[in-house]
Amino acid sequence: MLQRFLDPGVLASISSLDLLAKTVVDGFVAGLHRSPDFGFSSEFAEYRAYTPGDDLRHVDWNLYARTERCYLKRYRGDTNSQLTILLDASNSMDYSAAPGRPSKMDYARFAAASLFYLAIHNQRDAAGLIVFDDEVRNYVRPSTRQGQLHRLLAGLEQAEPRARTDFTKPLLHFQNLLHRRGIVIMFSDFYEDPASIVKTIEPLRYHGNEVVLFHVLDPKEIRPELRGPAILVDLETDQHLEVIPEYARHEYIRKIDNHLEQLKERTQGAGMDYHLLMTDQPLDTTLREYLAIRHGGR
Amino acid sequence: MGFLSPWFLLGLAALGLPVYIHLLRRHVTTPLKFSSLMFFERGTQSSTRHRRLRYLLLFALRTALLLLLVLAFANPFVRRAAAGPSDSVLLLVVDNSFSMKAGTKFADAKRAALQVLASRTRSRPAEIMAMGGRLEVLTQPIQDQAALHSALESIQPGDSRANLGELAHGVRALEESLHTPIELHLFSDMQRSGMPANFSDVELPPNVSVVLHPVGAVATPNWTVESVHAPAQLADPKDPKVSRVQAVIAGYGTPAASRTVSLIVNDKTIATRKVTVPADGRATVEFEPLDVPYGLNRCAIRIDSADGFPADDLSVFSVKRSDPERVLFVHQAGDRRSPVYFSAALAAATQASFNLQSIDSDKSADVAPSKYAFVVLSDAMTLPSIFENALVRYVQGGGNVLIAAGTSAAHRAHIPVFGGSTSEAHIYTRDGYATVGQTDLAHAVMNGVSWADAKFYYVAAVDPAQSRVIVRLTDSTPLLMEKQIGEGHVLLFASGFDNLTNDLPVRPAFVPFVDRTAHYFSGNDNVSSRLVDSFVDLRSAASKTPSEGVEIIGPDGRRALSLAEAASAQSFQLERAGFYHIRFANGREALLAVNPDRRESNLEPIPPDLLALWGKGSATPTTSTPGYAREKNPAHSIWWYVMLLVLVAAVAESIVASQYLGTQREEA
Repeated sequence: MLQRFLDPGVLASISSLDLLAKTVVDGFVAGLHRSPDFGFSSEFAEYRAYTPGDDLRHVDWNLYARTERCYLKRYRGDTNSQLTILLDASNSMDYSAAPGRPSKMDYARFAAASLFYLAIHNQRDAAGLIVFDDEVRNYVRPSTRQGQLHRLLAGLEQAEPRARTDFTKPLLHFQNLLHRRGIVIMFSDFYEDPASIVKTIEPLRYHGNEVVLFHVLDPKEIRPELRGPAILVDLETDQHLEVIPEYARHEYIRKIDNHLEQLKERTQGAGMDYHLLMTDQPLDTTLREYLAIRHGGR
Repeated sequence: MGFLSPWFLLGLAALGLPVYIHLLRRHVTTPLKFSSLMFFERGTQSSTRHRRLRYLLLFALRTALLLLLVLAFANPFVRRAAAGPSDSVLLLVVDNSFSMKAGTKFADAKRAALQVLASRTRSRPAEIMAMGGRLEVLTQPIQDQAALHSALESIQPGDSRANLGELAHGVRALEESLHTPIELHLFSDMQRSGMPANFSDVELPPNVSVVLHPVGAVATPNWTVESVHAPAQLADPKDPKVSRVQAVIAGYGTPAASRTVSLIVNDKTIATRKVTVPADGRATVEFEPLDVPYGLNRCAIRIDSADGFPADDLSVFSVKRSDPERVLFVHQAGDRRSPVYFSAALAAATQASFNLQSIDSDKSADVAPSKYAFVVLSDAMTLPSIFENALVRYVQGGGNVLIAAGTSAAHRAHIPVFGGSTSEAHIYTRDGYATVGQTDLAHAVMNGVSWADAKFYYVAAVDPAQSRVIVRLTDSTPLLMEKQIGEGHVLLFASGFDNLTNDLPVRPAFVPFVDRTAHYFSGNDNVSSRLVDSFVDLRSAASKTPSEGVEIIGPDGRRALSLAEAASAQSFQLERAGFYHIRFANGREALLAVNPDRRESNLEPIPPDLLALWGKGSATPTTSTPGYAREKNPAHSIWWYVMLLVLVAAVAESIVASQYLGTQREEA
């Protein structure tokens, strides 16, 4: 029943990111309990023979009583990870085709907030945030300290779309900021040449990071609807262009489909994960992907 | 093409409005924001062309709408050329009035009409009419040559008077019903007397062209018996005051000449006179005494004119020789005054003699009213019932009664025979007297009679229900009323004839009143002859009871009415000259002498300039026959069609504009 809180249209009416993230994650987790194929938490993984020096707290004393052999009981969730979210805050992320639908920026914020909540509350992972456009505008160091979630959500709140996207310049800073290996998730609309994007982001993999690209787009960006000739204004460059419907119906669709295909092929070819997020889709895709990576269940 | 209201063309300046909107004003399109134009390309050229096409269509529609609206207000018209001969209806009108009997005029006219009819193309519809006293339509617009020919042949000369005003009226009515051009061919002697006094009466519709075919257009000298004055009823041939015949002989375009005038009675010439008629003038000849036998006599005055129009040399009149008719005067026993006044007035007035027999009302029980020409009841409200019943039957059978109410009416609730209820009498002695306020001069008994000087002191108050009030006093009290009962009439005088209740009996107006009343009641209107086309009343229109059929023997000796007509006809038109022997519904017989209108004897034609004016100046003779043709090039207003186009343009503009606006809204 709580699945309805994953709908972006419903989430857009929740003003507090904290509440929004809690709503999303609680609804998501409640839905997971009904899933037979997926599981997590600190569950039993294997028995290992005791070797001197091992912590006696992990010895399975019940087994020792029955067999008089000393085994250690090991759990999967014992390791902590580090989640870093790169959020594109360029002007193009401010686009929304329908009045009731959240903009791409809002959608990315919702998803990031949910991920932060899930990571900190449920997984007790360290989480950090980098907001960028043509340079790094905000950086919240990954941490598990008290109040980290609050700082992250505040960073998301302050991330208003501005300027234009440029991956090259901020990526230099990313490599300096990401010392420890972990999960790097990037939210962007990726209006760049796919080869250039992959070439710029690929170095993040070299530190052993799991890199996931969430391509956030409005449905009308993939299938634009024009009833007549219109003048379009680029949100980033403020360029005016007169466009006819025939072009938008045929040539544009062909070009954007080709762009998405190339982006997917090149990112996967570079060992990164790529997911297309439509702003009218529920947020569980994001959370599912994170957990899959977190537990290596892919 | 032209404009009836060209000033409205100034509205064409409004065409600048769509020009400004579509061509001069900059178009503002609301830009749409998009995340990135990375995959878009400019489509300006095709986009602009598309928009211009749509704008140009809207511009054209709006411009056309304004243009058509201005044109509609300017009231455009087109001049259609006069319809070709094959498009119009050929209307042949032959004059068969009395004057066409002169010489060979009628034969010439008919021959010319047959020639025009023969030259007609077979596909062209034609219609035949005869113009006499009224326009007689002989055929509808048809193409059957045989029917048209026989209709033309059937026209015979008549005795009526031609009237071009009647012709124009008929043609106007025909044009309204046909809605096609008409080519009117008139075959006539174009008598000047046929032209109405008002020239606008002969005005024809624009799409009627006139071709005149004058026959015998030269004025010929003509003598005629212009009028005859003779007594219609004669009681004593030796009475020099009435036993005489006066005839006026007139000459039109004639030199001074001596003419022989004959008096003919019942086809026998009984007297002849020589009279000298001055050049283009008149002379009077008198015959006396007029000795005619008893009964209805056919009389005539004839001249030996020896001119080209012998038909008008004879004027007929009728004289009825009879003994003096008796009039019953019933009065109160003590009343000796009213018989004296009434008999004196009757003797002084009437040409036809009446013998007044006065009796007391008490002694009237064994009197038969049917033996009298009419009955007078003077202040005799109390009658023997047997006499009163006889009077009622007498009136219903066609008899007439004059009732003077006197002072005794106030004592009776009902007036005998008349039947009207009475109430309190009006006594005017306190205020002096009452005078006459309204008089119905159209009634026969008051025609030319004025009671304005008479003073009325006592008038009975009678309910005038269902009666015609002829005279009222100044206070609207009915004074003289007439009621139709059966075939007879009852006149009620609400005062008396005794010179006590009023002073009318000693006034000069009393004599003509009695005279006209006597003639009205006796059925003798004192006219010895009538004009052709006049009407005669056969029976009372108000009579509800079935009456006997009338009988009319025409000049040709045949019955002029069918049996059905004889049983129901109210009036009869005297269409032919001669004698009509008529037996009316009330049993009275009369011999009516009918003469043509003597204006037909003046054969002077209409001046050519007047004819040319009638033909609108286009005096172009036709190739076949001489005449005057009128060409018409009428203007036809087409504003109605322009308004239809305005409507279509407005609807189209609305559709195109709404589509455009709808698209803009969706895009926004």
